[in-house]
Amino acid sequence: MVNLTRVMLWRRPSVRPRTVDPFWKKRQIFKLSSHFYGRARNCWSIAIRRVQRALMYVAAGRKIRKQHMQDVWDQRIRSGCQELGYLPEGEKTMLEGLARSNVLLNRQTLGNLAVLEPRTFEALNKIARVRANEEKIARYLGPFPKGILGKL
Amino acid sequence: MSQLSLFVKSGFVKAPLANGIGRYVPQCQRMTLKFCLGWGNSRGVRDFIQHDLIEFVKQNPGTVMYLKPRRHRSPVLVAEYLNGGREWFSLNDMTREEVYKWVDLYRTKAGYPDMHFKNYQHSDIPSIQGYWTPFTNKPADRNMLEFPQNSLNTPLNLKPSTSEIISKLYGEPQEQRSSR
Repeated sequence: MVNLTRVMLWRRPSVRPRTVDPFWKKRQIFKLSSHFYGRARNCWSIAIRRVQRALMYVAAGRKIRKQHMQDVWDQRIRSGCQELGYLPEGEKTMLEGLARSNVLLNRQTLGNLAVLEPRTFEALNKIARVRANEEKIARYLGPFPKGILGKL
Repeated sequence: MSQLSLFVKSGFVKAPLANGIGRYVPQCQRMTLKFCLGWGNSRGVRDFIQHDLIEFVKQNPGTVMYLKPRRHRSPVLVAEYLNGGREWFSLNDMTREEVYKWVDLYRTKAGYPDMHFKNYQHSDIPSIQGYWTPFTNKPADRNMLEFPQNSLNTPLNLKPSTSEIISKLYGEPQEQRSSR
């Protein structure tokens, strides 16, 4: 059932509203597609689809980048742990050991130290290893580091 | 998205001539305030000039303030910097507090264009102890070895073969493999 009163009294603009100059509207899209391959660079209907998809990927990528960077840091810490051998299980045990020793460094800093300051990273690894000796953190532990006397 | 096609440029943080490491030189050379003496959109700027300008100028002797009263023109701030950078900013319909905050912001800037920072830190020498290499954690005496070395001839972590295990269990004399 159609409500004719509603249809007749529905207000519509009598004059078509002024649109934006299409040249400038399309220019905005072509500026973003300037580095695309082939017709997607210059032809409107192809470019608009590709640009919209590209913008969606960029927006989604911002969220993915955060996890990706954390994975990279994790991998660097893990590689450092496994190379030194004191904590073969990986970055989780090292982070747990450091947290329990009140060394509150995040994965970004530790990952950077593993690459840029390997001696500092080794020292932090040893701290975590000694803490792991006192408290049950890991299932498998590497050898106890030499040259550490007494308790932490 | 290619960097060339984006509207907002991105880059790394930088300071002109390592400003701040030794001495800090305020980078804002001069600021020009254009405003109208009558119209309402310049009221905030007029109030700022009346109350806050003298103190601002006394506190920042390195930054010169120019005033341009122009009839029937909207208020504008133009800041020029020591590296040649120039920034134009509209102060239309702003209150006195807002004008003060924006003027203070442009005082602390350094003439580089507004951009998205990829990293808020920059260092010419990121690594003090030296970058990690595959040789960083290896024992250094390996540099002085002369080859051939009998100790390094056999593979690492060589486990005993089944024959050796069996001969150990039952005590039969077997040819012993050379151990590391």
